[in-house]
Amino acid sequence: MQKSVENPSALRHLNKLRWLVLSLIFLMLVLLPFIHLYQTYVAAHAYDLLLPNEKLIYDAMEWLTGPFTNDPEHELDIIKGTTWSGTLFGFQLSDPLAVVSQVSASLSLYWPFILTGLIPLIVTLVLGRVFCGWICPATFIYELNDTLAAWMRRAGVPLGDKIYDKRIKYLVLIAGLVFSMLLGSIMTAAIYPPAIIGRELYYAVAQGAFGSGAVFFILTILFDLLVARRGFCRYLCPGGALYSLLGRYRLLRIQRVVEACNDCKKCNVVCEFGLDPLQDGFGQECNNCTACIAVCPTDALVFKIQFQDQAFQGPGHLGHAYRNQQTEAEK
Amino acid sequence: MKRRRFIQTVGAYAALGVAASLPYGVARMLSPHLQAAEHEHIPLPGALADADEFARACISCGLCGEVCPPRCVEFKQRDGGSDVNTPYINPAKKACVLCNKCMEVCPTNALTVIPILDVDMGIAQIDRAACYPWVDEGICGACVVICPLGEKAIHFTFANIYKPAVLDGCVGCGQCVEVCPEPSLPIRIVKRSEGTIAKHGVASRRRSY
Repeated sequence: MQKSVENPSALRHLNKLRWLVLSLIFLMLVLLPFIHLYQTYVAAHAYDLLLPNEKLIYDAMEWLTGPFTNDPEHELDIIKGTTWSGTLFGFQLSDPLAVVSQVSASLSLYWPFILTGLIPLIVTLVLGRVFCGWICPATFIYELNDTLAAWMRRAGVPLGDKIYDKRIKYLVLIAGLVFSMLLGSIMTAAIYPPAIIGRELYYAVAQGAFGSGAVFFILTILFDLLVARRGFCRYLCPGGALYSLLGRYRLLRIQRVVEACNDCKKCNVVCEFGLDPLQDGFGQECNNCTACIAVCPTDALVFKIQFQDQAFQGPGHLGHAYRNQQTEAEK
Repeated sequence: MKRRRFIQTVGAYAALGVAASLPYGVARMLSPHLQAAEHEHIPLPGALADADEFARACISCGLCGEVCPPRCVEFKQRDGGSDVNTPYINPAKKACVLCNKCMEVCPTNALTVIPILDVDMGIAQIDRAACYPWVDEGICGACVVICPLGEKAIHFTFANIYKPAVLDGCVGCGQCVEVCPEPSLPIRIVKRSEGTIAKHGVASRRRSY
């Protein structure tokens, strides 16, 4: 035990890496609309006619992208879009939820589009619900919101911490697909936070104003803050439901090493999705976000490659409960 | 007792269903269905012909807007009902330049790549009671000069050198609408079936005498 504290496992730093990835993706979603504006200014060939604030955007983006491209109007098209659907160096990638919803709304299979969901699908099948923890731009804001809630609780502000049934989100997914079919529009796109964020950032920067999705997103933030911790992701998100189902038999899983565990329960407290790592209760909803690994004082949580979770292994060997069991057994 | 149990079960499932559809209801309420004038909401080039089918195919990712060089693609940000967040073009504000980029980038079949001459966003319709070369023999011709399709789409009527007339080759890109200096917007993009001459105003009345 002592040794592992002195040389903390490298896995602990994965949570920092995750925050870096989340911040970079959010930053990209903010930057891309500005880059689009810059491209339109370049295409117009009229720098002198721009307004002062437009000139500012032009200069800033020229400074940012200048080292990478000589032809911003065309070459900057290689990264476009959002996490909902986008092009990345010639690859078109789409959220599997977008594919499923589009198929159920249009009731037809358009293969060029369905194939854009293939790479995210394979990643989800192997790594589980990693989109939710590592990529989703809404997670970035929701986790900051969760930190704010923790500070407010510490300051004595009473905030709701209700627990609902996590299976509601599968119903939300089914309801979304049915509504898409009946109402003739992609309903899940209107309530799926990462899609909303990508879209609304683009609206705010390039179209001049936020759309109604921003109001919906603020409502979800208030729900998380005042009613249930990470409530939207845990109980309502249709994308989270789809990813959980796809990641049910994922290959890469965080598992508890019972010999190193001391039953401190920090993992259960830090888990954004309300799972139960202390009793080996990871399940299909674990998104491999590594927050529990980072917080574990004895490095008892590690990645393992297996298709199913371990059954409950009993209390941790470094904890009081296990020691009491041993002494009773010796008697 | 059995009946009460049954009612309780049904009630519980109904409550679950309501809870599950609540987010969709909220999202729907935030974007009410408002009817906009058709000539202010013309479809994108290469769009599915039927507006309902377009709403079913479009995943509202916004890629068409993000690649548009003149930034003419707008979105139904706060209204639309089923069409919420789908793209449209308002040619009076900014017109399409027929660059093909949105058709190429669209991941779905909402926009598909088609030859420019086959694009059907509508057709330009001239109100001859408002266009001033038609009204008082004024000198203009801006729409004819700007048209990217040239002689196929719009020309001056024979022997009346500044009076524009739209031809069947017009694809409805709307550049004539954007460039038209007349504030009452004598040109608008309408559905192809409505014809190239506005059926109201002084000019049509004069013809019926």
